Amino acid sequence: MKGLEKNLKKGLVVLLAAFILLAVYYCYILFFYSDRWFANSYNPRVRLDSWEPKVIPGDIKDRNGKLLATTVKEKRQNPQTQQKQVYYYRSYLGGGEQARSIAHVVGFNNSQWGRSGVEALQVKYLMGYNNPFYERVYQKIFLSTEVGNTLHLTIDLALQQYIDDVLGSNKGSVVVMNAQTGEILAMVSHPTFNPNRLENIEGDILLNRATEGLFMPGSVFKVIVAASALDNLEHISDNIFDCQGEIQTGSQGISCYGGESHGQVNLKEAITVSCNGYFVDTATKLGKEKLLKTAEAFGFNQDFIFPDLKLAASPLPLKGSVSKEKLALISIGQGDVQVTPLHMAMIASAIANDGIMMEPKLVYEVVGRNGKAQVKLQPNIYRKAMRLESARLIQEMLKNVVDQGTGKAAALKGWQVAGKTGTAEISNGESEIKNNAWFIGFVPGNKSKLAIAVVLEDLPEGQTGGRMAAPLAGKIFKKALDLGY
Amino acid sequence: MSSKKFEIISLTMRYWFIGLIIFITLRILMEAFRTRQEQDYEDEGPFGHIIFFMVIFLASAYALLAYKNPSGFDKYTALIGIIAGIAFIIQYNLFRLVFPRMDRLLLIIVDTLAIFGFIMLYRFNPDLAKSQMKYFIAGNVALLFFILFTYKIRMNEIFSYILMGLACVLLLLPIIFGKEIFGAKNWISIKGYSLQPSEFVKIILIFIFATWFREENKFREHLPAFIFAGVAILLVVLQRDLGAALLYFYIFIFVYYIATSDWIIVLLAGGAAVLGSVASYHLFSHIRVRVEAWKNPWRDIENKGYQIAHSLIAISSGGLIGTGLGLGSPQVVPAFKTDFIFATICEEFGIISGFCIIGLYAMIVIRGVSIALRNKDPYKALLAFGATVALTLQAFTIIGGVIKMIPLTGVTMPFVSYGGSSMVTSLALVGVLEGVAIDATDNSNEDGAEEDDYKEDQAFGEGV
Repeated sequence: MKGLEKNLKKGLVVLLAAFILLAVYYCYILFFYSDRWFANSYNPRVRLDSWEPKVIPGDIKDRNGKLLATTVKEKRQNPQTQQKQVYYYRSYLGGGEQARSIAHVVGFNNSQWGRSGVEALQVKYLMGYNNPFYERVYQKIFLSTEVGNTLHLTIDLALQQYIDDVLGSNKGSVVVMNAQTGEILAMVSHPTFNPNRLENIEGDILLNRATEGLFMPGSVFKVIVAASALDNLEHISDNIFDCQGEIQTGSQGISCYGGESHGQVNLKEAITVSCNGYFVDTATKLGKEKLLKTAEAFGFNQDFIFPDLKLAASPLPLKGSVSKEKLALISIGQGDVQVTPLHMAMIASAIANDGIMMEPKLVYEVVGRNGKAQVKLQPNIYRKAMRLESARLIQEMLKNVVDQGTGKAAALKGWQVAGKTGTAEISNGESEIKNNAWFIGFVPGNKSKLAIAVVLEDLPEGQTGGRMAAPLAGKIFKKALDLGY
Repeated sequence: MSSKKFEIISLTMRYWFIGLIIFITLRILMEAFRTRQEQDYEDEGPFGHIIFFMVIFLASAYALLAYKNPSGFDKYTALIGIIAGIAFIIQYNLFRLVFPRMDRLLLIIVDTLAIFGFIMLYRFNPDLAKSQMKYFIAGNVALLFFILFTYKIRMNEIFSYILMGLACVLLLLPIIFGKEIFGAKNWISIKGYSLQPSEFVKIILIFIFATWFREENKFREHLPAFIFAGVAILLVVLQRDLGAALLYFYIFIFVYYIATSDWIIVLLAGGAAVLGSVASYHLFSHIRVRVEAWKNPWRDIENKGYQIAHSLIAISSGGLIGTGLGLGSPQVVPAFKTDFIFATICEEFGIISGFCIIGLYAMIVIRGVSIALRNKDPYKALLAFGATVALTLQAFTIIGGVIKMIPLTGVTMPFVSYGGSSMVTSLALVGVLEGVAIDATDNSNEDGAEEDDYKEDQAFGEGV
């Protein structure tokens, strides 16, 4: 057989390739996902055993050292052994109702209900799994029970509680972050629950809307279209569009809010008054490939893998064949495009930070048993979203939105606030239309730029982003600036 | 207090174990790329000491497990470790002395993998390890038998018909007398021993394919082997033993292509396999469940995704160098002593050890194919290649399934997983490889046309 030797070598190549693929996949998947798998709430290895804990989980504190979560010891009757025994459980913000303000971000660790939030994802630090070898041996020899490490979050409790207050009974979410470092200062999701009492949980109350709630962005999405236009179309700033109050694409007509016609507008004016016609026209000129490229640079359709938090991917269905009508709807943030509030805060941050999107950070530092910091916050660039010059131009436009346009209600005396409003209309099939009101924006801040994303859910028709979300953002910015950020 | 003492010792010993594992793997890797002629076979040569490091690994792991006993150091466990270690040295040296021309490195790789199995099984339950040692001894008898069988006996078509009949009977047994375990009906029990006939049929398959495909005949003349392959796959599908069906298919496709370079049949068979899998995906719910569990095990973690999710959690719980032997929670992983043993090794010995194990199987590929390449007799070359495919693709299938690279198919991990049928079959396949290896050396020593072979081997050695 002549070909045998050659074929055997081919066979060798195929078999070896299979094993190389196996090894590469093994390394890749463990490098990116092993921390998440370990933190999975079904992992029984890190479950808090209330009666005989091997490790007592460490405290969670805010960035100023205020206690958010701790482990409490109590003498209780053990139903199994019928003896008085020490019982361990987690207590949040003193164990009372005020823990509702931090419920989603901190989460809970409960022998009955499992784990969520930071309590789940950072269980490696809280249970001391990151401790070096000698520390683990020391604890085994000298301590009666091993202890975990203290976790400081980037959250500011005062700001978090303030936002929880001003949101009141509204459904929705607010994220405030430092645009230049990616630190999340506050992350609130409403409705909320009391992590100290998990007995009466109903509906989607456990859902952290900030990171897992997917909302239609409405006009806020226009900043992505504007960014794509500035990056891709020459002389876009000089481009004038004649708004007649309605624009026709194929079989569908899209009108501006309230049927108003804005007349001759350039990009800056169009974004100030949130002219739908202008952006439908611009998106048509751009074409779906360029718009998709910019949006993906801003993180759409990306599988976010951040070490500090889990964030749902924001879908933008512009792959494959897309009709003109669909592209037109997406350009004004309607249609099938969806986004999480945290991702919107990251987009606002990227614009404020001259086009550089930072990785969102929630862990401020991890402090060991002896008070030494084991892990410290390291700001990390996530990706370059747009060109520097384009980002500067959009910053100016967004300032104009708050100075003269739809975002006036967010203006603050003495501070140059910038932002963009949005109102997504959602029909629930029964002819009733609900609004999601958006505001994303940024302010220079005392030390570094602050970015915000506010979304209010299920508002009656007529309650727009400018009317509902913008004033809230203004108040929250004022509080944050008063706190010294 | 004694449990804390054990924890501290185990935490410390992690560094010792990972060092040993890396050292053994690297030494094997360094030798695996050499061709025969370069190795000095007259004395113990360059790699005789690897076996001692393996035995040290085994004995120190058993010494650590002896501390696990709550009432103090368990001398019995330590003794078993030492005896098993000595047994490995004796086994290796016996084979080396009786068959001086065998591929010793292959035996070293196989023993290393078996040692992983012995350690993990003793850690789960000492009785499992003791049974596994019995299976290993039985496997070594099979190894010896198949070295001699492959070396001495040359199959012909007539004899292969008898084997075909035997294979069909073996595969029919579980369908008629079998009991259902985990949804598959592929076991029979004889006097308290459970056997999995589909494992043994793998060996028969390799001999039959090598017999029929050794000469480049027309399609028509290969027909009996084709029909047999089809019937065998059908019978294991009837047992709902998907893993075996997949392996039979791999062996058939690879051996057939290597022998005939016939793309058309390979493509047709591949197409039929794809059609078959698509059809079975739509027809059978248990296959849909597997595919869904593979795509997203986290969605239904309590039912469909349970196995894979817990396997992934276990692998990621160990970190780079593991939790320490005896400090993990392997019981959480389903089928931890058979199909999912890879996940539990990763948990307690670390991600690096898992990587080394993947590397060890890859080195079986290298040794196996180089044995096939050295032998100029197509029948023997096909035998060696078939055995290599059977061993390594089985490992690939289960490791790939456990780490969620491909949908999970329940096959054992050769040499490591608990189980007699698997251990005996795997060692028998090694016997086939070694039988061919001995023969190749005989050829080259007696043959006049030595120079050419030597050069080709060298080229191969460098090419890899």
